[in-house]
Amino acid sequence: MEARSAPLGGLGCRGLVAAPGGSPVLRGVDLDVPAGTRTVLVGPSGAGKTTLLRAICGLQAIEAGSIELGGRRIDRLPAYRRRCAVVFQEPRLLPHLDVGENVAFALRAAGARRAERRARARALLTEVGLDGFERRAADRLSGGEQQRVSLARALCAEPDILLLDEPISAVDANRREELRELIARLQGERGLTTLFVTHDRAEAAQMGERVALMLEGRIVQEDEPAALFQRPASPVVARFFGSANVLRGQVRDGRMSLGGVEVPVPGPDGEACVTIRPERVRLDPAGPLELRVGEAAYTGTWVRLRLRGEGLGLEAMVPPSQAPAAGELVGVALPLEEIWRIPDFEAVPEEGRRAGVRPRGGS
Amino acid sequence: MVERRLPRTVGTVAVLLFAAPLAVLVVQAFAEVWRYPALLPQRWGLRGFEVAFEGDQALQATLDSFEVALISTAAAILLAWPAARALARGPARLRTAAIVFLALPLLVPPLATGTGLAEWFIRLGLADTRVGVALAHLTVVLPYVLLVLIPGFNPRLRELEEMAASLGMGPVRRLVSVTLPGIRAVLAAAALLGFLVSWSQYGSSLAVGGGLPMLPLTLLPFVGSDPNVAAALSLLFLAPAVLALLLASRAAREAL
Amino acid sequence: MRSAAATARGATRRVPPDLLRLAPALLVTTLLFGGALLGALKQSVEPPLGGGPSTWSLASWRAVFADPTFLDALWFSIRLAVISSLAAALIALVLATLLRSRGPALKTTFSLPVTVPHLIVAVLAVAWLAPGGIAERALGSLPIGVVHAQSGLGIVLVYVYKETPFLVLLLLSVMGRTLRRREEASAVLGASPSQVLRWVVWPAVRRPLAVGSMIVGAFVLGAFEVPLVLGPNYPPTLATYAYQATQTSPLSGQGKAAASLLVAAAAAIALGLAALALARTEDG
Repeated sequence: MEARSAPLGGLGCRGLVAAPGGSPVLRGVDLDVPAGTRTVLVGPSGAGKTTLLRAICGLQAIEAGSIELGGRRIDRLPAYRRRCAVVFQEPRLLPHLDVGENVAFALRAAGARRAERRARARALLTEVGLDGFERRAADRLSGGEQQRVSLARALCAEPDILLLDEPISAVDANRREELRELIARLQGERGLTTLFVTHDRAEAAQMGERVALMLEGRIVQEDEPAALFQRPASPVVARFFGSANVLRGQVRDGRMSLGGVEVPVPGPDGEACVTIRPERVRLDPAGPLELRVGEAAYTGTWVRLRLRGEGLGLEAMVPPSQAPAAGELVGVALPLEEIWRIPDFEAVPEEGRRAGVRPRGGS
Repeated sequence: MVERRLPRTVGTVAVLLFAAPLAVLVVQAFAEVWRYPALLPQRWGLRGFEVAFEGDQALQATLDSFEVALISTAAAILLAWPAARALARGPARLRTAAIVFLALPLLVPPLATGTGLAEWFIRLGLADTRVGVALAHLTVVLPYVLLVLIPGFNPRLRELEEMAASLGMGPVRRLVSVTLPGIRAVLAAAALLGFLVSWSQYGSSLAVGGGLPMLPLTLLPFVGSDPNVAAALSLLFLAPAVLALLLASRAAREAL
Repeated sequence: MRSAAATARGATRRVPPDLLRLAPALLVTTLLFGGALLGALKQSVEPPLGGGPSTWSLASWRAVFADPTFLDALWFSIRLAVISSLAAALIALVLATLLRSRGPALKTTFSLPVTVPHLIVAVLAVAWLAPGGIAERALGSLPIGVVHAQSGLGIVLVYVYKETPFLVLLLLSVMGRTLRRREEASAVLGASPSQVLRWVVWPAVRRPLAVGSMIVGAFVLGAFEVPLVLGPNYPPTLATYAYQATQTSPLSGQGKAAASLLVAAAAAIALGLAALALARTEDG
């Protein structure tokens, strides 16, 4: 496969500002996607993810900043010269063309002959698991099948970057996992530089080699998936990634009091903010904290407990087999190595609410 | 920037398409003497209106036109309401067939419809009566009203009605407090269009009601012979359309 | 028991109510429209006075098709219909392309001629474009004759002014968000603006445009009051031919008038059904 695009360099966005419809949505976005890797852009709806993606591929004008792709500046180029292929949330197939011609659309735009388009479309359809679909009418396929066609169409363009805008969200829940795996596999085989947009933190963790969290028009943290979950840069990041346990207090002599229990906290003395993942909170009759279960909710795999007492509100995720009933008093232990001091806790004090993240349990 | 420029564009287009052409009508209606090649009349006055309403033929024609338009529109809405409700759902094939059949009268020259109807209306004593003319107009008013009304009975309205029914609301209360508010705008548009279609009818009015001339029949002979009178009558003839225009622009502004 | 009764009632209620709801409209249309066509047909086959005991005769039809004026009227009406619908389609295409990304206010403004009666548009055309009209007063002279022109240009202008907005609305209804999205998807795949126009926009608009143009053509085929006001003295349109026939000989003219109007009606219905067939193949 010599024709496969071998990216010389990845994507680099610097200081992107964009205001679709007059209101600022991108407020200075810096983002890198190293060549051949997969980065997931995650954030609540309204954060500007889709706008960023549209700015990269040239469907949204930018007011400031620069975009580099494969070693060239692309921000002044029209969309059709940028060599970005997009898989949109909706398949956006052309209803008057059959599936094969839809897949080979980029080849048609480049002036390829019909035989070549057919051959290429057939090969790509096989790769996305739609063997023999090329003569079908595009609008007679199921939503998941259409999205596969849309993926094949994007791959057919052999782009410098593949942009995916919540490609899974319109697909039947049972089919999502398949499609995710397919995307990851095809991307890996081709070494395609890829930016994948989602609002789902679990999907972000699963799909991303790197994850960038976007809030209110800025990238607030960009790291490996596990780092965003375990070492959030700010309380908002912690809450977005599912931790309601953002606890404030004073650090004196390197220790902080949590419900009367002194725990060691790194860094200078003074006001501090720590967090611990709910699934790391351990129920332990011998634990130093004694808290009351306010609420116990079964979520399908875990039971989420809201624990209260000793001036403390905590959330814990426990296996159903260990779950106490609401109202019970339980002993709780906080593994010290799981406590993370949030470095940047003053920056965005209450934005969690606006960003659509559940407010913290208590503080 | 675009937002600020837009109203001006709208204004320019409105002036070019309507205001300017229509202004001539206003000028001509009040121009007692307007000899070539002057750009403005030599003498202004109300002669056009005085001549137009000499005797009470024009006044009678206006009232007749108004009554006929009201009757045919009301009848069309009564007939189209249940039909539109039925045609907003159901098997696509039957729906298309019914809509095509009901819309067919739109395509046929109104003079043809009128001439054919006159054959029977003369025997039935309906020729040259307001009811007869209203019936002839109904042939085209009904399909227009129907076509506007159908999208009004969309699934969203039906869901609201189902919700109301599930809350124990009876058919009459449901009509008054759910259906009518939900379809108000569409119904108004349908009624307006129906009225204008009847008001503007020429061919069928002539064929069925030549002896009971509607406003356009009264107007036409003046176009060649006395532009001053023709303009005066045209202003009257145009009044409902202008009213429609004002209502539409208000609705558009509310939509913004 | 109760639920069974309810289901049974639901089943019997399902189909008939919709038919019942449709019945009044269908009945009235059948009576009025069917009656009109039958009435015209009856007039057209009425035997001529003193033509013997037969109850019907094709005399009027023969007379009409032997009349060179009728043939000229037929040809003239068809020509007007073709020219008006093509011109309206072309202008509508340009306008819709310009208007699609603009706000609702501008779209509403452009659609306003829909409310103005044909007769008024004709009166306006006379006021502006007739010899001695405003245009001539302002410019000194007009390069081409419009009102009463042999070519029928005045009639074409009136219909283009009236029907273009209808076509624009039709086009805008398929040039909405869905089409915009498809255009975006094509652009990022490397399709240039002209390719997008040819491969994405044109396939989406061509059928509604064709269907709308045919409907406009059907309207023009029935043109009556507009040619009365600003058409040429000769040839007439099919409808004015029918009118003249009844004016010149009230008795024998009736049959010829009905025959020529039926020809116009048949042509209009044929155009409408062709438009429908075209629209249907799009769905399939």
